[in-house]
Amino acid sequence: MTTYDAIIIGAGHNGLTCAAYLGRAGFRVLVLERRDIVGGSSVTEEPFPGFHIDTCAHRIHGLHPSVTQDLSLNNHGLEIQHPSSCVYAPNLDGPPLTLWSDPARTTAEIQSFSSHDAQQWPTFVTFMAVATRFLRTMYDHPPIQAPRPKMEDVGTLLRLARRFKNLTKSDRIALLRLLPASIADVVDERFETDILKGALGAAGINGIMQGPMAAGTAYTFLHTHVYSPPGAIRATLFVRGGIGGLATALTSAAKRFGVSVRTGAEVQNIIVKDNRAVGVALAGGEEITARYVVSNADPRHTLLAILDPANLAIGDTRKTKEIKFRGAVAKVNLALAERPEFVGASDEERLHGTITIAPSIDYLEHAYDDAKYGKPSGELFLDITIPTLTDRSLAPNGKHILSATVQYAPYHLKNHSWNDDTRDTLGNHVVETISQYAPNVPSAVLHRQTITPFDLEKDYGLSEGNINHGELTLDQLYFMRPIAGWSRYESPIRNLYLCGAGTHGGGGVTCAAGYNASRVLIKHAKSG
Amino acid sequence: MKTQQFDAIVIGGGHNGLVNAAYLARAGLRVVVLERRHVLGGAAVTEEIYPGFKYSVCSYVVSLLRPEIIRELNLARHGLEILPLESTFTPLPNGDHLVRWADHDLTRREIYRHSPRDAEAYDDFGQLLYRLAVAVKPLMSMIPPDVASLHPRDLAGTARLGKYFHGIEPSTFYALHKLMTMSSADYLDEWFETEALKATMAASGIIGTFLGPRSPGTAYVLLHHYLGEIDGAFRAWGFARGGTGAVSEAIAAAARSYGASIRTEAPVAQIITRGDRATGVVLADGEEIHASTVVSALDPKRTFINLIEPSALPSEFRAAIDNFKIRGSSGKVNLALDALPEFTCLPGTGPHLRGAISISPSVDYLEHAYDDAKYGAFSRRPYMDILIPSLIDPTMAPPGKHVMSLFVQYAPSDLVGGWNVQKREQFGDNVIDTLSEYAPNIKDIILHRQVLTPWDLERDFGLTEGNIFHGELTLNQLFFLRPASSWADYTTPVRNLFQCGSGTHPGGGITGAPGRLAAQRILGSRWT
Repeated sequence: MTTYDAIIIGAGHNGLTCAAYLGRAGFRVLVLERRDIVGGSSVTEEPFPGFHIDTCAHRIHGLHPSVTQDLSLNNHGLEIQHPSSCVYAPNLDGPPLTLWSDPARTTAEIQSFSSHDAQQWPTFVTFMAVATRFLRTMYDHPPIQAPRPKMEDVGTLLRLARRFKNLTKSDRIALLRLLPASIADVVDERFETDILKGALGAAGINGIMQGPMAAGTAYTFLHTHVYSPPGAIRATLFVRGGIGGLATALTSAAKRFGVSVRTGAEVQNIIVKDNRAVGVALAGGEEITARYVVSNADPRHTLLAILDPANLAIGDTRKTKEIKFRGAVAKVNLALAERPEFVGASDEERLHGTITIAPSIDYLEHAYDDAKYGKPSGELFLDITIPTLTDRSLAPNGKHILSATVQYAPYHLKNHSWNDDTRDTLGNHVVETISQYAPNVPSAVLHRQTITPFDLEKDYGLSEGNINHGELTLDQLYFMRPIAGWSRYESPIRNLYLCGAGTHGGGGVTCAAGYNASRVLIKHAKSG
Repeated sequence: MKTQQFDAIVIGGGHNGLVNAAYLARAGLRVVVLERRHVLGGAAVTEEIYPGFKYSVCSYVVSLLRPEIIRELNLARHGLEILPLESTFTPLPNGDHLVRWADHDLTRREIYRHSPRDAEAYDDFGQLLYRLAVAVKPLMSMIPPDVASLHPRDLAGTARLGKYFHGIEPSTFYALHKLMTMSSADYLDEWFETEALKATMAASGIIGTFLGPRSPGTAYVLLHHYLGEIDGAFRAWGFARGGTGAVSEAIAAAARSYGASIRTEAPVAQIITRGDRATGVVLADGEEIHASTVVSALDPKRTFINLIEPSALPSEFRAAIDNFKIRGSSGKVNLALDALPEFTCLPGTGPHLRGAISISPSVDYLEHAYDDAKYGAFSRRPYMDILIPSLIDPTMAPPGKHVMSLFVQYAPSDLVGGWNVQKREQFGDNVIDTLSEYAPNIKDIILHRQVLTPWDLERDFGLTEGNIFHGELTLNQLFFLRPASSWADYTTPVRNLFQCGSGTHPGGGITGAPGRLAAQRILGSRWT
């Protein structure tokens, strides 16, 4: 029987990133993936013959640059596409709006709506770049241990202090005001055009059970921009061949460093001896020992399901239970016989990024109103991509894929539960909604796949269907993520680490959490 | 026309203005307070609108009046007497009720009746919040530092703040972080299951703010109750003998005893500036009064937009004041009653009528009330916090008769179509209809009704947009961000002009704290 330095539970992008870095540092690493394919929620699957669909995550906003570089992902087949269009926002009551990756082009576009807003835009873009650069300093390192920083935090503290010092005073003030704000307030202060405010507000509520008027949604907005190309707001990037290409490239890079990756290997239990993780037991009964166990699964699933919670102190069990998950998102994937024709989209280039159905802040807030009482939104907020417009390899000739993130589809339904009926109702509702903007879609649907929050939990192992492994809200960020006191990728069990989206840096496909976790673990291993 | 010279002019004879004047006079300054109305007190007034019946027209409970102020200004000697409110009674539509009594055991038994689990949790919850209140208390009496500044003097303030946080036990710090960033509904969900209990507690988090119980940033107000407790001052909520105006009268008497002059019906039209400093004020009738220090107790919008030439303020500061959110969210109804209301769920005139009566049957009820307001309507079924002051202080009404005070939320300042006399009465009718669902006899016993909407609060009491706290108490408008970063230490960009109203730290409620801290700051700057 081989013994490993580290076992990684779950081959999501963060697990693979962590594995590759550990391998690179000389660890003997084994990655265990429950499903038959790697990628976790960033997978490309073929649910319908010939259609290669990003079943869950369908776009990225930017990868941690060190990861791409250190692991030479480009040499392992990773190709990132940067469409010129970030967001196309169609509108039933007026002309549509496109946000381009080129700020000057966006300014010109906004000019036709409001010269006031067009004037504000460059300032907004510049300030967001300042804010995300500051955040990047936080995201590139493990969280500071507030309220009593330790020696290992000094470097990060100094870097943050320097960043803060280098800002102008008015940027410092603006940043302090921004972090706890609602995205609605942020856009209301600056803009007057509803469609613009809606398109921006949408990024503030992605994946959370809050509306755009909730404090903290400005942070959620910033979070999606931390690794985005500078100057682009709501940048939408794709992986050529589908988002699963990222996991494939990471796997290939990891294997080069000697990492073994086993699929179809479900970890049933983390073996603990003397409050120390020493290995895992697979579903078939096989036991594998390792010096460290690192979980890419979400913190609740890791600590309360895979780990026997009897190993935890009562306080830690309670804190883990209190992590807010309450998934808010469903996914609908369509295989289409023809290209969707969005009314008002004068040229196809506008549709290359995300098509966002979010005509105003009030529209989004109304959508949330339904959800907070346990109902799917009457009028849905959708973030749609049509990856086949820029990557013909994904579908048979002339055919297309439409991928839609659907919000709000609350995991906790009142008076109902998620089943075949409610899933179908939601799927129909999504197609109906799209048809208002792209009337040819319903008749072009060859296949439809609807993934409810319940399915996300069952099939992809996401607790309560939360795509971010825990809500990205102010109370669950930075030194509070995933639970207070355990924010540095460690867990209450010695030698059990966390590296998934539920830890700092996580949420969204950036690989930052896996990267940070690997560095912490390598440091710990070196110091014995 | 020029009158006598003063050291300091205080604009506005509300409780904070009076506290400020009293402290300045006590330090030997020649002070004059200028009040626009014929009565002192601002929003803390008692008026006999209907013969024989005394209304605490606006503010109706004494919450958190700082004990050091009561002590230092000898308010008891000047006639202040605070009578405790014994209970909070929540009538329920299903015929049941929940009462929390001053008596701990009674409360526990009552909660047990609804949920044994909650009765258990209630004590633990109380202990935690008590601990958090102790931790947070120093902030209440701290002049906020300018954390965006790198000036050595300001860095010292930031360092003091850092030291304060460093001194907090990590587990307390984490709990505090959650409390500051979560919604009251989420926070209470972690502890309790009884809807009426959660809703009644959550309601205190939404008073005076344009947020719902599910909005992040509402949980921290739960602390108020416990802050009162550590002061040893009659728990959090009390009622001043003679109505709220008696608080203002006592403070005014203290100020006079230190030599302050107080003028009513002396509306200030403008603050006179010369160069970069304030030198006095002009009254509406043209009279000029000069002083080396001018202090405004008005809200920031009134002070900086209405009373000062725009050219006297830097544009960045003006923008900050423009962006300061001050949406009014509440109304007030005062009733003169021929008899006591009879609640269906708890008939008779028992002790449950001697405390607060809270119309807050469930969190959803409150949230629905908020939903209406978000889109510019007053709540169809509002949250109400009701008192019958004449039961506590018989001098408030003729023998056998009563006065009732109803704080009503939500009444948005930006009502769709605007407020007018008709809408005001509709709003009043709606309040009575709501109450009659719990106390059907109410309609038969009303002798007189006074309805105040945000529109009236602005017009009659000078509260911009009718906001009772001089600005919303949202996360990005607290502490060093209140009312604007760099100017949260009671100074303003105009030299010798200071602010001391609820629009400064620690904000609204009859605490007197802003008035006292501002006096500290003013006296400090005079002597250094």
